Formats: sequence, structure tokens, C-alpha cells
Amino acid sequence: MTEVSIEKLTKDYGQGPAVNGISIKIAEGEFISLLGPSGCGKTTTLKMIAGFEDATEGAIRFDGRDVVHVPVEKRDIGMVFQNYALFPHMTVEKNLAFGLEMRKVPKSEIRERIAKVLDMVQLAGYAERYPRQLSGGQQQRVALARALVIEPKILLLDEPLANLDAKLREEMRVFIRDLQRRVGITTVYVTHDQAEAMTMSDRVVVMFGGRIAQIGTPSDIYERPANLEVAEFVGQVNIIRGRVGNRVVSTAFGDVPVSGDYAEGAELMLALRPEAVELLPVGSGAAGVPARVLSSYYSGSLVDYRLELANGAAVNVQAFPRTRFADGDEVLVHAPADRFWPLGPVTGIGA
Amino acid sequence: MSKPFFTAYCLVIYAFLLAPILVVVVASFNAGAFLTFPPQGFSFRWYVVFFNNEVFMRAIRTSLWIAAITMVISGVIGTMAAMFYVQYSGRLKETVRIAMLAPLLLPEVLTAIALLFFVYSVGIGTQTMVGMIVGHVLITLPFVFINVSASMESYDPSWSMAAQSLGAGRFTRFRRIMLPLIKPGVIGGCLFAFIISFDIFTISFMLKNVGTSTLPIQLFDYLRTNFTPEAAAVSTCSIVLTLAVVVISEKVLGLRIHRF
Repeated sequence: MTEVSIEKLTKDYGQGPAVNGISIKIAEGEFISLLGPSGCGKTTTLKMIAGFEDATEGAIRFDGRDVVHVPVEKRDIGMVFQNYALFPHMTVEKNLAFGLEMRKVPKSEIRERIAKVLDMVQLAGYAERYPRQLSGGQQQRVALARALVIEPKILLLDEPLANLDAKLREEMRVFIRDLQRRVGITTVYVTHDQAEAMTMSDRVVVMFGGRIAQIGTPSDIYERPANLEVAEFVGQVNIIRGRVGNRVVSTAFGDVPVSGDYAEGAELMLALRPEAVELLPVGSGAAGVPARVLSSYYSGSLVDYRLELANGAAVNVQAFPRTRFADGDEVLVHAPADRFWPLGPVTGIGA
Repeated sequence: MSKPFFTAYCLVIYAFLLAPILVVVVASFNAGAFLTFPPQGFSFRWYVVFFNNEVFMRAIRTSLWIAAITMVISGVIGTMAAMFYVQYSGRLKETVRIAMLAPLLLPEVLTAIALLFFVYSVGIGTQTMVGMIVGHVLITLPFVFINVSASMESYDPSWSMAAQSLGAGRFTRFRRIMLPLIKPGVIGGCLFAFIISFDIFTISFMLKNVGTSTLPIQLFDYLRTNFTPEAAAVSTCSIVLTLAVVVISEKVLGLRIHRF
């Protein structure tokens, strides 16, 4: 079990920094995701942790020891690549044995450890197969087993599920997460898929333009986004505008209390997640703001509505299909005051 | 084009290309005293003459040695050059390739003359076989380079990265991961180098040291004054030898391409 500490890490290829002075402390056994759009520096960060890229500045410490000048092969990492990178000329067994042979592990122990790890990834009996004889998901599990069998200090995964189909991807999320918990290894996971990052991680690091926008638990990131960019990147969001009054913001949904120092009269942006909004039929006697259904999209477990408020603002709402509303229906919408999250003064980028 | 017609067309082309070789082989079993076709009678007598001809035997041994040395040097340099070329992404990539292929584009006689001046000006001279081997390496290098860089195109750099993450140093990565995966290209390139070196005339003619002869030179010398079927026997043997090299290395080393 290893604690990883990244301090003011910077990578500059000569055209401005790709990674710009980021610091992350990763606890022993923690599962951390680096989440962001392509070009945000997440993969570069992972490559620096692995050692495939030199850091321009900053430190990477494994249990306090700076490894910036340690070559990849001496860093004792387990890495899973996006395309798995299994050695095509070796059987599954040989692929798994490779790292152990490099560590001069005795033959009998190699056999034991391979059997154990194959069992763990549910591929017992596949030892003699070649990678090309395995399905994508099986190859993925072999890649995982190959990284874990050497019992590395940390496990690094570079978008490992990107090449799998949707159903398998969801299975593998759970599989990888369970395996990581059981082994208890410190893990850094790179992805551009927010659902992946949310479901698997202890903490998510959201990155934009080489900088960290927010570090937090999945619910921090989702419910209390640090800024507009994070709010819009992670899941769907309605940006509600309101004017700051006496400790409240007056919005189309009514007055919402806010804590924080905002000048009176300033225009504020509030994040409101689509599933936080309740839809009620008109005349039910409940409190709510009138709205009209513009369109609705049924997806089985949920219905996505697009509504228009009286002031012309559009709001997306996600509701259970227990009560269905048709396009053109007049409805009442209600959102609890505590589901609004302030994102700061209007900047002009917002919806 | 219909399929049977196309097949026939191919057969005719092959017949046209291979007929002269076949004629030589047939002529080598001539029982008569002159190199004629069709042959007069069937006999192995010219093979016996050839195998007892110490001059020819020495030339064959020389040729085989030179081809083997050339193959090794060309194989090593060509493979390294291809490895560099494939991972290099700078502006001069195309220049590197052209420079590597230049010996193919220049007339051999020009290369030979240039090398002759060169080996004398740097003091190697033609007292030893060094100059000739340099020439052979130069001519055969492009073939190794082309073959290896072609097989490198399907080599995924992440294999090397994976090996490195598992603790393999530079040399181990090359020996255990890259080399086995580009082996077909390396062996193919080396075979080309061997066979082409075995066949080079102009370079050998200009750069050979006094007293030694390679097989093509010896054959040329012989045909200037003699016209017996022994020449055909020599040619046939060299064809068989070349084929043998290809077949044996295919069987022993395996030219099987890994399918992914």
C-alpha cells in the first residue's frame, strides 16, 4: 500500500504547459479518477506518474520518496493501457509471467501467483490462450491481471474501458472497482467519461486546460461543483439566474436562500440538476411555478422533459415515468431550495 | 478478365520469365563438350568437373563467407536504422528514408567507382576484403531496411511501454518483445541481404582484393575463355544454394507472421 503525493507537477512541451502545477495527495488504497475532456492534461499526468513522460517541474512521491528521476521499469507500477497492449506472441500465462520473471520470482511461485490472479479475474482455464483468441472483455481482464500480479505499488489505468461496448463497460466498472477494493491497491484512473469516474472513484479530480478545477468525492463534484465548467461537464445541469437580494436570490422558482458573500443586486448563476425538479399536475394544490412541456424523451426508467417557464426560460427535468405528461401540457414545477447550488456571478458563458 | 484466361496469362508470363533459368538447368546436364541447347545426351559429368575444380570451389566458399558476413552486418545496421526511422517523427523523416534507399536508386557501377576512390582515400585499399564487404553492406542495406520497417509498421509501441511498466529494461524489451514480433521482417531482410550479396558482380569486381574471386566473377572469367556446360552446372548449383537458404531459414527460423 502506497501513498502518492503529486506536488506542483508541470509538463511543458514548449507550447505552453500541458499540465500546469497540479498537486494531488492520494491516500493509501484510494481510487482516484482524473476526469476531463481530451487535451486537459489527464493522460499526461498519468504518464508522468508512470514515468513515460518527464516532469518539467514538480515532484511525484511514492510514500514520501521522490520518483521523478526513477525510470519506468524501476518505479514498480502496474499499468493498464487503453488498447490493453497484451503481448500478441505470448499466451495469457506468458503475458502474466513476464513481470514476475523481470522480478526474478522463482518458477514455482510464478505458477502459483498466476493461478491465483487468473482466478481473481475469473479467467482460470484461459492460461494457454493467445490474446487474439480472447474477447475484448477477457483481454481487458488479462491486462488487469498482468498489472496486478506483480503486486505493484500503484495501479494506473488509462481509459481502459474506452474500447468496450456499453453493456460490458458497465460490468467492467463494477468488476474493476470490486477487484481494487479487495486488493486494496492505490489506483489512478484516467477517463473522459463522467459516469465511469463517478461510479468507481473514492475521489474525482476534474481537470481543464492542464489545471485542477476541483478535487472531491463524486457527490461533491456532482452536487457542489466548484464552477460552471465542472457543473456542465459532470452530468446535465440547468443554470438558473437570479438577482441577489437580502440573503436570498430571487429566481423564476422563487426566492432561494444563499450563504456566501454576494453583493446585493448582483446577478448570480445557480446549478439545478434535472432530477432535483419535481413535476406536478396543475390544480393539485401543491406549491409550484407554472410551466409548459415543450418536449419529452422516454428512456424506460426515466423521462427527460424540456419545459418552458412563464418567463421564457427553458428547464430540463428528469422524472420517473409514473406520471406522464404530454407535450403542450401545463404543469407545476417545484425545486427544494437546498438543491440550488451557487456557481458565482454571471460570467456570460452560462446558458 | 475471366478467371481461366487470367490464370493462363499468368502462366505465360511466368514461363517467359523462368524459361531461361530452366534452360540453364537443363543445359547443365549436357553430355557434350559445349554449352548448347537442346543438350546432347544426359550426364552429370560437368558437375563432377565443377566439384573437382578448386578455383570454383574456392570462389563459392568466398562468396558464401562474404554473403554471411554482409548479412549479419546489414541485418544489424538495417534493423537499427528501421527502428529509428519508424519511431522518429521529425522533419527529416523522408530524408532519412531516401538516404537509406539511395544505394538502390544509384547505378551500381557508380557506387562501385565512388567506393573504390573512397577505400583508397581512407587507406583501407583493396588488400583485404573489407572494402568489398563495405560495398556489399551498402547495396544490401536498403533491403533489410524496407523489410524491417514494413514489419515495424504493425508494431504497437504500447507493447514496449507495457513491458517497461512490468520492469523490463531497454535490452530485454528489444529481445523479448520487439524482436520476436518483427522477426519475419528481420529474417526476410537478412535473406535478401544474403542472396543479393551472393549475386553482386560490379561492386565485387571493382573492390575485390587481388587473388580472391567471388562466384559471379569467377564465372565471368571462365566464360571469357571457355564455353563448356560446366558454367551451367555452376549456375544451377548457385540457384539451388540460394533456394536452399530460403527454404531452410523458413523452416528453421520460421517466417510465420503473427496474426493479431
